[in-house]
Amino acid sequence: MDDYGFWGSWLAVGLAAVGTFIWRFAGVLLASKIPAQSPLMDWVNTMAYAMVAGVLMLMLVHPTGILAASGLDDRLLGLVTGVGAMMLTKRLILSLLCGILMFAASLHLF
Amino acid sequence: MSISETVALTAPQMRRIAAIDALRAPAYALAATMAGFATIAREAGFDVWMAVTTSALVWGMPGQVAFASLYSAGASLFIIFFAVTLANMRMLLMVVSAADMMHLHMHKLPLWRRVILMQCLAITSWAHLAVAETTYPRHLLLPYFQGFSLTLYASGMLGTVFGYFLPDMVPPDLLQIIIFITPIYIFLLIATARQKANRLAVAFGGILCPVFYPVAGEWSILLAGVMGGTLAIGYARFIAKWHLEERR
Repeated sequence: MDDYGFWGSWLAVGLAAVGTFIWRFAGVLLASKIPAQSPLMDWVNTMAYAMVAGVLMLMLVHPTGILAASGLDDRLLGLVTGVGAMMLTKRLILSLLCGILMFAASLHLF
Repeated sequence: MSISETVALTAPQMRRIAAIDALRAPAYALAATMAGFATIAREAGFDVWMAVTTSALVWGMPGQVAFASLYSAGASLFIIFFAVTLANMRMLLMVVSAADMMHLHMHKLPLWRRVILMQCLAITSWAHLAVAETTYPRHLLLPYFQGFSLTLYASGMLGTVFGYFLPDMVPPDLLQIIIFITPIYIFLLIATARQKANRLAVAFGGILCPVFYPVAGEWSILLAGVMGGTLAIGYARFIAKWHLEERR
């Protein structure tokens, strides 16, 4: 906190909040402009799905913080196991458990 | 429950069901993710109030992480603002998509209430809305979202506080496993989206983003989203249709 001081660090928090809020606000305004069940709305939806998938894969492939201490192979093995279980069983919590357990096992065994 | 049985539910009942849905698993996973943020924030030099305020007001993991890492690097306030803004740009599309899913226009809420509602939107509640859409009638999706997202919000705040003090108590190996839960959980949810175009978008976006990242950095999310989403809808609309016509 020495770099910014008391007011500087809270100003940084405020700026981070504003930087997110503008998108939410713009989204609320834009949502009332786009007609439901239109090709444009379908496109917005696929882009939202692709962005969310991208964010998640970034967390897994290029993680920050404590997850970065695990290996890429551990994380991908967990992901593949989870997705595989989901395709076979169609049961979310069960598949989640498979993925997590595989990640845990991979961390400790390999 | 089938749709016909759920039509008779009142809004408060729906909120309660949604809150219980959230407490089944996603609330813990999200609390763990926010705990992960809090450990990064603490290393970056945040006090616990700054960490909680950031979780409450930003309420979007990639932006929060970008903020904490730049803060620890001593980046200028302008750079912080720019990076967080860029990292949370997907909120725009998620808000539009969520408003569409819960048929927000039917409810005729004033602007300030719609804004407060969307302040609570997170990836988890957005992904769960897509699941609820297949189970509950449209007029109940707004109360569902309210119950679900408020429960998540509360557990996110608790998770941030716990996470701030947690590293003292939990071994790092266990913490890694806990933090691993949320990305996998959401990925499984969206990878089984009802519409084929959306599942394709998950595949394209998920592959493109880490590929772009070494070159494009924070821009990779935007790039992968636009390209992946456009490819997916293009494939579903034109190429798949063309196949259909071929076969006739």
